[in-house]
Parts: sequence; C-alpha cells; structure tokens
Amino acid sequence: MSAPTPLTVPLENIAPCFEGILPSTICSCSREGTPNLTYLSVVHLLDPHHVGLSYQFFNKTRRNVLQNPMVQVVVTSPETLYQYRLTLCYERTEMEGPTFDRMKSNLDAVASQTGMSHVFRLRGVDIYRVLDCRPFNTQTPAESPPKIDPLPELEAFSDRLTACADLDSLLDTALDALSTIFDIDHSFVMAMGEDGARLYTLASHGYADSGVGSEVWVGEGILGVAAERRVVVRATSLAREKILSRAVRSTVKRRGKESLLEKEIALPGLPNVQSQLVAPLVARDRLWGVLCLQSAVTGRFLARDERLIQIAARHLAATMAMLAQPDATALKAAPPHRTAVQLPMSAVVKHYGSDDSIFIDDAYLIKGVAGRIFWKLVQSHARTGRVDFTNKEIRLDSNLKLPDIKDNLEARLILLRRRLEARCDFLRLIRVGRGQFRMEVQRQLTLEKHV
Amino acid sequence: MTSSFGMGSHQATLEEDVTLFNGQTSSSLTSQTSGLPLGQLVPEITRGWGLLVSKDRKSISLCVPLATSQKTIDNLTGNGQIAVCCSLPTSYKTVQLKGQCIETTDPTPADLTAVERHREAFGRLNARIGFRRQRTETLWRRELETLPDLVKLRVIPEQVFDQTPGPDAGSHL
Repeated sequence: MSAPTPLTVPLENIAPCFEGILPSTICSCSREGTPNLTYLSVVHLLDPHHVGLSYQFFNKTRRNVLQNPMVQVVVTSPETLYQYRLTLCYERTEMEGPTFDRMKSNLDAVASQTGMSHVFRLRGVDIYRVLDCRPFNTQTPAESPPKIDPLPELEAFSDRLTACADLDSLLDTALDALSTIFDIDHSFVMAMGEDGARLYTLASHGYADSGVGSEVWVGEGILGVAAERRVVVRATSLAREKILSRAVRSTVKRRGKESLLEKEIALPGLPNVQSQLVAPLVARDRLWGVLCLQSAVTGRFLARDERLIQIAARHLAATMAMLAQPDATALKAAPPHRTAVQLPMSAVVKHYGSDDSIFIDDAYLIKGVAGRIFWKLVQSHARTGRVDFTNKEIRLDSNLKLPDIKDNLEARLILLRRRLEARCDFLRLIRVGRGQFRMEVQRQLTLEKHV
Repeated sequence: MTSSFGMGSHQATLEEDVTLFNGQTSSSLTSQTSGLPLGQLVPEITRGWGLLVSKDRKSISLCVPLATSQKTIDNLTGNGQIAVCCSLPTSYKTVQLKGQCIETTDPTPADLTAVERHREAFGRLNARIGFRRQRTETLWRRELETLPDLVKLRVIPEQVFDQTPGPDAGSHL
C-alpha cells in the first residue's frame, strides 16, 4: 500500500480544530448531485490521515455518503479563528473497538448529564480518510504545531506528592499543585463510597463552598460515567452541549416521545463551568475515586491536557493506595489517653439509626459509615471523657461494620474532619500522628439515639 | 419545482423562521462540481453573509467573500445547484434551503448594508453564549483580510428542510 500523500496543512498542526470547541460544517451530495449541508458538534482527529464522525441518526448526510463517499468538512481553529477545508472520503463505520469506546463514553457521559441517555446513542463511528486539508482562505499563513514539553511540570507534581505522609495532606497537596503548577484553579476529588454505588467529595480547591460530603451516583452524569467505566471524560464546551441537547430535546417533545427524556443533572462545582475533565483514580486495579478539573473558560482542557492529567491522576491514585495501607506501628506509638474537662455550654448530638445520620443542634452533619464512626467517638467521649483515638481501634471495631477493613477508613475520617470544620465550630478532629487523632470538644455533649 | 417560501401548512412557522434567521444566523452554503462521475463529486462549502429575502418572497440573496469562495462561484456557474443552511447559535434551530443559484453579481449598497447588519447581529448573538464580539469580528476578518471583495448570489429556493439537530433533522418544512 502506497504512503498517503502529504496534506497541504498537516492535521496535527491544527489539532485544536478537532476539540469540538466551535461547530464544524459538513457537505455531501446525493447520487443526483444535490448538495446537502449540516453542522457538526465535533470532528474527531484519529491519526494524521483519518478523522471520525459520530453516527447517531440515519440522516441525509449518511444516505449521501453511502452513495457518494466524497465530502467536505470545514473546521475552525478556536485559537486563531482560521478555517480549514478537509476533503474526506468515507471508508467504513466502526461499531466496536477503542475509538468507538472512547467516543461512546464521552457521548454517554454528557447525555447522562443532560438527561438524554435514551436519545443520544452512538451507533457507530464513521471513519473518513483525509485526502487534503487546506486553508479556507487560500492566503492563510501556515500554523505550526505547538511545542510543549510537559515533563518539568509532571516532575514537579510528582515531587510534591512524594513528600506527603498521609491521605489528608496528599489530597490538599495534589489539588494545590494542580493550581500552582498547571494553572488549574478549580478541582475536586471524589472518593468511591463503600457501597460502590456512590462517589462523595473528599477534597476541593478553589470553590466558595468546599462541597465536601456531596454525592453523585456511579454511572450517572459526567462524573459517574467516568467512574463506572474507568475512563477519562472531557468536555470542552458545556454551554454548547447544553444548547445542542435542548434543541434535540424540543424535537423529541414535538414527536410526543417525552418518555425518552430524563431530568438534566446539575453539575457540581463551578456555576458557569465550560470545560471539565474527569480522570478515574485507579491503582492496584481498583477504583479509588475520580479527579475532576473545571474551568469557566471554553476549551480549557485539550487532548494534550488529557494525557498529562491522566498521568498525574495515576500517580495520585498510586500514592492514595500506598497511604491507605494500615500502619501496624501506629498503635504502639499512641499517646496515653487524655480526657476532657467539664464545659459550660452544651450541644445536642442526635443519631438516627436508619441511615446513621448525625445532627448537631438539629443541623445535619453527616451520614453512613462516617456517621457511625462519629457516633462511636462521641459515645466514648460522653462515657469516659476520652479524646484520643487511633485509626486501628476504629478499623478493628466490628460494631462499626466497616465494609472493608483495609481501606476507606482514612477517607471517611478526612470527610468527617472536613465536614466538622465546615459545619461545627466547637468540635474538631485533629491529626496528632500517623494513625492517631484527637477530638477537641468545647461544649458539653448530650447524646440522643433515634431509630 | 419553483415555489415561494412558506409552503403548505408550515407557512406561519417558516415565515417566523425566515424573519428570525434573517441577519443573525451562522449561514453556510454548499455547491458541487459538474461533469464528474458519481464517487468523485466533491462538494464545496463557504460562508455567506447578509442574507436577504426578496419582496415577492420567491428568492433570497447573500454575499460570499471572493477570497474563500472562488470554487463555489465556479461550481454555481457550472450547474447552479446550491444548499444554504442557516443556524441560530443560541438554540441550534436550523433551516436548510435547496435550490438554484440564478445569478452571481456585484453587491449593491443595500446588500453591503445587509452584510454589515448581519455582522453586528451575529456578533451580538454569539456574545450571549460567551463568544466575545471581538472573536466574531476576527472570524469575519479572516475571510476578507487578503481580498475584501464580496460576490452576491441570488438563489431560488425549491425545497426547505428543518435541519435542527436530532432525529427529525432533514424533514421537509
């Protein structure tokens, strides 16, 4: 097979055109030569001589290319706003394989977020050979591919993580490093819940409200789909995605097929989010959670950022897995138990057994496993005045019914500590050493147990 | 078949669409080469500005930059077959007209005024969805920076389609 002819403009020189930041146009023509024009959300760059287009509906373009495989596509650079004409020849449709899976995950994630899971369905990826790519305006100057060396940033990121001795500082350090090293100012980590069905926010950076403790369902929305399939999901223009899904939504309604529509899910985090990248945190073949990056800028996270963040996320996950190993020496090093003194003010702590939710002075604090742990701590404190505890004694307490004794406890303690910081000014959990913490209580606690 | 806009029972909707679209949409058009066998027909896209509907509502006109549209003009001179797509960036409501280009001429002052109006209105609309005015201006400038000439196309629409994305895209209006 002969080598492909070099293109007038190499596709890699105009890679941002293939990010779906600005819409593209495609024209085809029928057997009779009647032209047809339509808009495309995104043209996917597959390799230096191929692009892929999603096949969702059997439309006129598709009918035409099956008769006459030659089409033209115009893409626009979101950076320079130069446009390029691509002459394409339809080759085949893929309905499985890595390209199909990657595009399907992205489509499914955004469809789930916008309540369109039953409408947006990827049937296949139409693969086109690029015969030529030339400037829309023949006098357009040539663009060169950006020369970016990400290694110094990655090195600095891994260096910061290496210095962390516990999960709490690891999470704060990682999110701070994303900001200072990669200029990503809004990020959060969600951890996998013990039931495997929910993710909960464990740490965040750059938001007015930390959001710690907020939950999403695995498999639902951009975050949930990224977690369920353990893939990176990236959106470059969420405002456009919403406009598109609302346009299709109104068509579906007009057809009387409202039963196909689900509710739009609000994205956690930035209210005006335009770009989002979600990377799964996988180590030792286990999903520990997801790392989510957000920006109010359209097209903030490109394909090159995706690779970079995937490496950073793997490093973060590996460090999380390492730090989750119980420390056998922790108990030996535990300090003698200190006890609390009598305090003048009081507060009521209520525990509801049905879901282990905790309310302090009627304000909700936390539920689930973290709620059970907190109830154990305050009961122990109320009975004996005890304030010092170890991770190990909690891990070994069968009454707590921890789902897996090896993991997640540290994450739940961090969640509990951060929820207390945000919601309660007289009760704190302070880390005092590896696997040890102290509960600082500045009021007399009255405990109430409810069903 | 030659017909006016507003065919059949969709007249009110279509007139509303045309009014709505006139001067605010992203307008692209396509043509195709003549005399090539099936399998080698390569259509050509360009962007149009200042779409106007004639008073008798039987034709439309729009202007294309010469720097980006020479091949389109050649194609239209050859066979006249054309499709024009107008899409509102704020809702993706899209209409496609298919028909015959019957004339390519120099634009009149009224056409140039329509182009200016389109530039303004398109910029304003895009700004509402976060695409800054300056960027719409750059997009426009890129098409004319090497050659400022515009060519006017007059088109008789024969068929009108709803091209709004979704399962109904391509249905007749």
